[in-house]
Amino acid sequence: MANSGSSARTEQDRILVERFRRAIELAFKADTDLLRRGWLVDTCCLIEIGAERILLTIRNGRPAIMERVPLLVSWDFAIRGGAEAWTALWQPVPRAGWHDLFALTKRGAMCIEGNLQLFMANLQYFKDLVALPREGGTR
Amino acid sequence: MSAPALEPMVGRYLTMPVMGAECRIYFEEAGSGIPLLCLHTAGADGRQFRHLLCDEAVTSRYRVIAFDLPWHGKSYPPTGWQEYEYKLTTELYVETIRAFCLAMRLDRPVVMGCSIGGRIVLQLAHAHAGEFRALIGLESADYQQPWYDTTWLHRSDVHGGEVCAALVSGLIAPQSPTEYRHETLWQYMQGGPGIFKGDLYFYRVDSDLRGKLTGLDARRCPLYLLTGEYDFSCMPEDTLRTAESIPGAKVTIMKEVGHFPMSENPAQFRTYLLPVLEEILSATA
Repeated sequence: MANSGSSARTEQDRILVERFRRAIELAFKADTDLLRRGWLVDTCCLIEIGAERILLTIRNGRPAIMERVPLLVSWDFAIRGGAEAWTALWQPVPRAGWHDLFALTKRGAMCIEGNLQLFMANLQYFKDLVALPREGGTR
Repeated sequence: MSAPALEPMVGRYLTMPVMGAECRIYFEEAGSGIPLLCLHTAGADGRQFRHLLCDEAVTSRYRVIAFDLPWHGKSYPPTGWQEYEYKLTTELYVETIRAFCLAMRLDRPVVMGCSIGGRIVLQLAHAHAGEFRALIGLESADYQQPWYDTTWLHRSDVHGGEVCAALVSGLIAPQSPTEYRHETLWQYMQGGPGIFKGDLYFYRVDSDLRGKLTGLDARRCPLYLLTGEYDFSCMPEDTLRTAESIPGAKVTIMKEVGHFPMSENPAQFRTYLLPVLEEILSATA
C-alpha cells in the first residue's frame, strides 16, 4: 500500500483533497445523474488521500464532506490511496494500469476495505463519484 | 435523420448435442470464405462481434460466425437448468466449440476468442491444433491474477447485472468511444443470474494452463495473441509471458484498447486484426 495513514501530511495531499471537495461540490450543484443512480445510497465512508482523511456522509446519493474526521468515528467502508494513485486516476486520460479503482487495488496502490455490500451494490456510483475530479472524465 | 440501414449479418438457431445435453444455440453470420469463428467474453454474448460482422474488409474474405454459448445471449440453457449451478469447465467449453464446428460443418476454421475465449484457444492449440487453420487469442494468457471476489457477482443483495458491468467498466480503455463503452457494458447488465460467475469458474479455477502447454507449437497451427494495453485483468505481461513458452506465437500489444477490443473500440481493433487476417489468408493461398 502506498499509504498507511501514518505518514506526514503534505501540501500535495491537501491540494488533492481540495480538488476532490471542489469536484463534488460542482457536480452536485448541477442535476447530476449520480443523484438518480444513487437515490438509495445512505452511508458514511472514509476517503484517504495520502495522509489526509475525509469523511463522506451520503444521504439519498448526495454526499457531504467532513474534512476534520472526529476521533473514534464509525464508517462503513474506506477507500485509501496514496497521492500518486489519486493523481494518476484523475488524469484526463489516465495511463494504463492506473486508470480504474480496481487497476489500482490490483497493483497495490489503493485499498478498499470495510463492509463492502453497499459499495458493491452501487459500484458504478462510487467509481464515478471518486473519479469526479478527472477533467473530461470517462466512465 | 439517417436512412434505415439493414445490416448484412443473419441470425439463426441451431440445436446440437454437447456432452449429452441438447443445446439450442443462437448464432449470427456474415460473409463468405474461410470460416472465422468468434468467441465472446465471460458473461457476455456474440453481439460483441457486431462490428466485425459488418466489416466488408473482413466479410469479403471470411465467413464470420459468432455464437452465444449456452446460457448466454439468445442461447437457452439446457433443459433442467433450474436444478443446478452453472459452471463452465475446460472440457465443456472445448466440446461446445467442437460440437458447433461439427454441426456447422466448418472446414478448419480460424477461431478467435476473447478473454475466456482467449484462454480456450490456447487449449484448442494445445489439444486440437489439427482441427483449426489458425487461432487468435484476444486478451489471452495461460493465467492471470484474480482482482476481485467472484461471490459478489451472484447474491441476492447486489444486482448482478449492475455489479458485473461496473466491475468490468474499468477494463475498457479511456480512449474508447463512449457509445461503444456503454454498449459493451449493457451486455454485462443483461447476463443471466450467476452466468458471469459460472464462466469465471473456468477462468479462475479450472483452466490454469501454466506449465500445461508443453508441446504447443504455433508453427504447426499459427497462433496470434493480441492484448490491449489497458487490460489490467489479462495484462500485456501475462500475454507476453504466455507467448514465451510457445514457439512461433506472435504477440501484439494494442494501444488505446482494453479487455473488449472488438466491441469497445472496433475502429482501433481492426487496425490490428486486419494484418493478422491478411497473413492467415496469405498462408492459406
